[in-house]
Amino acid sequence: MGIENFRADAMRCSRCAYCKWVPLDLMKSWRFSKGCPSVEYGKFDSYSAGGRLITALSLMDGRSTVTDKVRDSVFMCLMCGSCDVTCKMCRYDMEPLLAMHELRAKLVDDGHLPKQLEPMLESLRKDFNTMGEPHARRGDWAKNLGVKDLSETTAKAVFHAGCRYSFDGEQSGVAKTAVEILKKAGVDFGIMGAAESCCGGKAYSVGVDQQLKLAADHNLAAWKKAGVDTVITPCADCYYAFKRLYPKHAGSKIKVVHMVELLDQMVADGRLKMTKRVPMKVTYHDPCHLGRQGEDYVPWDGVEKKIFGQAVCYDPPRPRYNGAFGVYDAPRNVLKAVPGVELVEMERNKEAAWCCGAGGGAREAYPEFSKWTAGERIEEAESTGADALVTACPWCERNFTDAVRGRKGKLEVLDILQLVNMAL
Amino acid sequence: MEISRDAYRAIEDIVGPENVTDDPAFLDSYAFEWLAELVRPNRSHYMPRPWAVAMPISTREVQAVTKVCNKYKIKIKPISTGWYHWAAPMKDNEPTVQFDLRRMNRILDFDERNRFAVVEPYVICAQLQAEAMKRGLNCNIIGAGSSTSVVASACAYFGGGPSSFYTGNNSDNLLGQEWVTPAGKIVRTGSLSSGAGWFCSEGPGPSVRGITRGGLGSRGGLGTYTKCAIKLADWPGPTEMDVQGRPPGYRLPIAENFRAYTIGAPNWDAWANCYYAIYDNGLGYIFHRQFNLAGADLATAMWLTYIDPTKTLNDIETLAKDPKIIAINEKARISFQLILAASSVDGIELQDKILNQILAQTSCFKVERYCERDMAEFTNMYMQRLGHKHCNFMWVGGYMGSWMQAGTPDFVKKYVPTAIKGFKEDQESHKLVECGGDAMMGCGSTLGGGGYFGLEQFVSYDPADNDSIDACVKHMEDAIEDCMAAGVPLGKEALYLQIGWPDEKIWNGMAKAPQTFVFNFQRKFKEAVDPNSLGDRNYPWLPEGWGQTQAK
Amino acid sequence: MDTKKRQLAAIVGEKNVLDDRRTLEEFSKDESFSEPLIPWFVVRPGKDSEVQALVKWANATATPLVPVSSGAPHFHGDTVPTATEAVIVDLSRMKAIKKVDRRNRIAVIEPGVTFSELAPALAKEGLRIPRPLMPRANKSVVASLLERQPTTIPRLNFSLPEPLRTCGVVWGSGELAFTGEAGSGPLSLEDQWKVGLAQVEPKGPAATDLMRLVTGAQGSMGIVVWASIKLELVPAVRSYFFVPHDDISGLIDLVYKLTKVRLGDETMLLNRAKLASLLEPQPAACAKLRDALPEWVALVGLAGTALFPEERLKVQEKEFRAIVQQFGLTLCGGFPGVSRADVARLVDGDAGERPRTVAQKGASQDIFFLTTLDKAPPFIDTVQSIAAGYGYPLSDIAIYVQPQHQGVSHHVEFNIPYDPNDAREVAKVKDIYLDASNALVDQGAYFSRPYGYWSELVYQRDATSTDLLRTVKHILDPTNIMNPGKLCF
Repeated sequence: MGIENFRADAMRCSRCAYCKWVPLDLMKSWRFSKGCPSVEYGKFDSYSAGGRLITALSLMDGRSTVTDKVRDSVFMCLMCGSCDVTCKMCRYDMEPLLAMHELRAKLVDDGHLPKQLEPMLESLRKDFNTMGEPHARRGDWAKNLGVKDLSETTAKAVFHAGCRYSFDGEQSGVAKTAVEILKKAGVDFGIMGAAESCCGGKAYSVGVDQQLKLAADHNLAAWKKAGVDTVITPCADCYYAFKRLYPKHAGSKIKVVHMVELLDQMVADGRLKMTKRVPMKVTYHDPCHLGRQGEDYVPWDGVEKKIFGQAVCYDPPRPRYNGAFGVYDAPRNVLKAVPGVELVEMERNKEAAWCCGAGGGAREAYPEFSKWTAGERIEEAESTGADALVTACPWCERNFTDAVRGRKGKLEVLDILQLVNMAL
Repeated sequence: MEISRDAYRAIEDIVGPENVTDDPAFLDSYAFEWLAELVRPNRSHYMPRPWAVAMPISTREVQAVTKVCNKYKIKIKPISTGWYHWAAPMKDNEPTVQFDLRRMNRILDFDERNRFAVVEPYVICAQLQAEAMKRGLNCNIIGAGSSTSVVASACAYFGGGPSSFYTGNNSDNLLGQEWVTPAGKIVRTGSLSSGAGWFCSEGPGPSVRGITRGGLGSRGGLGTYTKCAIKLADWPGPTEMDVQGRPPGYRLPIAENFRAYTIGAPNWDAWANCYYAIYDNGLGYIFHRQFNLAGADLATAMWLTYIDPTKTLNDIETLAKDPKIIAINEKARISFQLILAASSVDGIELQDKILNQILAQTSCFKVERYCERDMAEFTNMYMQRLGHKHCNFMWVGGYMGSWMQAGTPDFVKKYVPTAIKGFKEDQESHKLVECGGDAMMGCGSTLGGGGYFGLEQFVSYDPADNDSIDACVKHMEDAIEDCMAAGVPLGKEALYLQIGWPDEKIWNGMAKAPQTFVFNFQRKFKEAVDPNSLGDRNYPWLPEGWGQTQAK
Repeated sequence: MDTKKRQLAAIVGEKNVLDDRRTLEEFSKDESFSEPLIPWFVVRPGKDSEVQALVKWANATATPLVPVSSGAPHFHGDTVPTATEAVIVDLSRMKAIKKVDRRNRIAVIEPGVTFSELAPALAKEGLRIPRPLMPRANKSVVASLLERQPTTIPRLNFSLPEPLRTCGVVWGSGELAFTGEAGSGPLSLEDQWKVGLAQVEPKGPAATDLMRLVTGAQGSMGIVVWASIKLELVPAVRSYFFVPHDDISGLIDLVYKLTKVRLGDETMLLNRAKLASLLEPQPAACAKLRDALPEWVALVGLAGTALFPEERLKVQEKEFRAIVQQFGLTLCGGFPGVSRADVARLVDGDAGERPRTVAQKGASQDIFFLTTLDKAPPFIDTVQSIAAGYGYPLSDIAIYVQPQHQGVSHHVEFNIPYDPNDAREVAKVKDIYLDASNALVDQGAYFSRPYGYWSELVYQRDATSTDLLRTVKHILDPTNIMNPGKLCF
């Protein structure tokens, strides 16, 4: 696409600052009114989506160059999409998140990738994971689970654990729980095991699109060979990559299901019976890539056209990804179905959720910022009086767990699968 | 051009190195401004670049940096949310430090009983309203929407909004304020100056606040307002808004003691009569002509599209041709929005009765489709929180407001036909959004209790297309000509264009004003409080000797 | 002297230049403790151009001018010259009601128009203005508004200067310029009316609120030659209620609630001495009535105006009763011997020639300031404690609390009556006034209208603001001819 394609977006930015906030209608307090962790932490306007559009324009116009400060302002962003939702409250013609991505891609192409991201990308290139772990260990978490190995056989669905669940010993239990649930529900599935590759989403998020393409081509080929028509994952990042990036960048037509969607179906059709009481007050964190960025992909290849003289629209009509139809209800239905659980909402929820701090390469490249972001969310969760913060993404869980460790509170961090497991 | 290293270092010592920058790309995010392309050479989107941006966190830091700027003769330009081209520095090659006040973002005090809050500059209206509503209170939100700074609208610019009819204009809601003058002195006004707290802006004796803002405000040209207390009004609604639906068309259910209507008028005479009747009857919590900003020809199609999250602007093209929609549109052609609120069900039922009688007497009516539940709840949400104000930019990203001369309804009614005709003609170039000649928006009254407001044409142009920008500028020039021919004072278009004019042209215009007294006063006042001329020309003044006899 | 007289006569006409001893003595003093100083002339202009000529003459001759609009008696020292060779500019001849605009509910009047003259003129159009509490009959409306005298209907008080909107001012420099939106239009009201301007918006022009520089200024910035005023509709139906209590603290929550929800028109707190003095001008009868009244009352007037007035009144009464009950209070519709007409007169009438509290003993010293309502009781305690310390009978002190600015600030006023012929009582009351003023300022009372001694107390508290005001004064009145010696000038 190229950042040049967003020149018009940049020129049409009205510098209204909506990108810094949650949708104004949804503000319930001073404390939890901010939407953009990047500008809250970095402070200068350049750390906002609007600011980055202007940075892009300034660079394109030759008015400035990429300094360390500029590079940091571009990459110290979680690519969470909060700005995209609020901008699009009014602006049908703007794509701030996409534009920021293209700006990153441009900086990467021009050699300005933050050095802190190199180990992650090197690990991806060498070992097909972002965790710096040997590739051969990828399927170890599933040993003795009696799951089909799709590198040797076929099934209707592939369960894609993702890098985090595959290699993080503290978290891999969630993947195991998922597998047990799928088995009990009689789903015909398998895992790629050591043949599973990273979804490539993280590489894309930092502007290294090529790596996404490689990962997509590899995974799609492997799944085709295994005869699967559906990929099931418990990881929101992977979900987003498969659902929104693979069709666009690799022509994927595979059906993509997050475990939480499956759980919701299973609760509805009776396949999942939760009988044990779990007397907990919980609050749910919407992962960015499952929530506001988890909307269905709609293929589009069109051009801008103008109606009524100058009003911008598209031919054919361009799909609007504004967080209206993210996966919000499924996890809430599941939580409400767990006996004994009381669900309380944080002020910033659904499309207005504050990011966990792990995305966009920030956890790797700007750990202080990442931790601060998570801490803000923990404070919000604590303000609800909840016993536990529940979510549906291993990166959110990791970042929250690390943030909670430094604090005095007793907030537990759980994956929704763990909570469901307590009720089985 | 670069800020001197000594000045930069001095500022760094005050605010910390992480809170000041002179990186060109960073500076450009302050130079880039909405409306710049209308006034800058070659349609540039950049106003003059500041030489540095500093982010102080306290009044003490603001004062200290101001003193540094005095020492090094660097202009200062404070902004909070920083919107409009006049938020940026005014002149190329003129050293300016932009004060970005976003770190001064606290609500310092909430005096619930005495109904005011004390805020710093980066507290926006939406935040204050959310906190106020928890306490059964509400604040005035200005017409530019709830993403704007409370301090800015109370102390430095305009201050009227849809809720002003009930909650008052933010100038009238201003209580004590704290101001760092361009010379670096800290001034506290009203009761604050006597050490008696924040509750009163007037006095002692003549009011110092009389020199801090006026009607238009100093727009950053007279030092930095670092805090103010703002008066709050009663909020008879729920303590938390129970927002429903999906973006963008969130809805707010209408409580039993509220109503949300769109009222239509058969002609402008009836419309004016209706306004007067509303004033006389003291009816209305929020009173505003909002939805016509989309253009009276397209408004219904646009808003019905907007509230459907599955739709895009492409759908407006089809919808606008639907005969049913056209019929509704004609009803809504001369319309405005009215939110009623009462302390009791008896009270709201009586207000309904009064409104119905007003409508009968003035031949006005409720526009049915807009009063159906989905649109009514959307209207309620839109008007209460004013969080959709950037629908001003929805068509294509550029919006410029022309006309907006304020006066009584009869006064406004007189210029409306000229404004409509002129805008319609300018749309024939096809370089502006062709939404019909009436795309006017305005408060029911910018003054508490009624009586005074203006209507602003929403001219939509493409900032990425120089021909479209040119067409907008031509419209502005045409509007100025139309005003002069009609004997109407110049409108907002002149205010916007002035930003790009050289000093002499501005002074020439000011010198021809029927009364130049205040501009001479402001010159003398500026000489006293801004001896190094660090404030820019957004605080307007006439050079000595210019005036009615001196115009060139 | 003769030269000056001739020059003045050339401006205002011979018969409008007064320098007889009796007239000069009348204007040399007032009923406050201000030191008297005899002026040299009293001039009575009849139109704007004469006022402007006077100011220009004063600049040329360095003659202090003291503008006065209301008839005597005066009480706050602002009309007493504080510089020698002063000329009193008596504006009472300028009595034109230039316009009553029913549709826009704006009246334009000259400074000599009194409340008793304006009310019937407005009533003809079904209009009224929010008024101060029982002004004296010859009180100038413009002067009252310029002084920011509190009005009795807080819900209409969107800002403290309301209902004052714009003014035509001859500034101390001799220039004529208008304030507010009138300052952006032609320099003639008639020309402004021709183009549909109605002098509605008080702010401005440009980045200055010129109106706010002339309010509270005690004539030290310029002379107002006309003012536009926002008008309200005359109610079709009215009712009045008293809510009694033996302690003001018991009524505070009620007043907070009423002003918050903007229920009612007139809303005020009166102690028994104040209420009695307003209802009964005769001292003996007043004392008797006072003893029969509750210690404190909240007086609330409800009104039905415009469409469905009876129903409006009914709804308000229902809500009002519910609120009174909510706070465990009781209502009474009146007092024995006090008729509805008496109450209506209190609310809508004037005091006659002299304020009611003055009538009690012949003189009265006022102390008034602004505060938030929650702080009123401790301020009252302070004044009463000081007065008691001097052996002054507390039952004689009239106290009035008037919510302003829709209930955000409150005017608290003490009237301390005394016999002007009793030297000891005079001295006592003067001491009470001085001591109480000092104590109140230290306690946080805000003397927003710093007359006389209060100006010393107030302006020393903030040098920066005081400097700014002096800067403004120097610009608007460069020769310092406008009532010099007042405020901080």
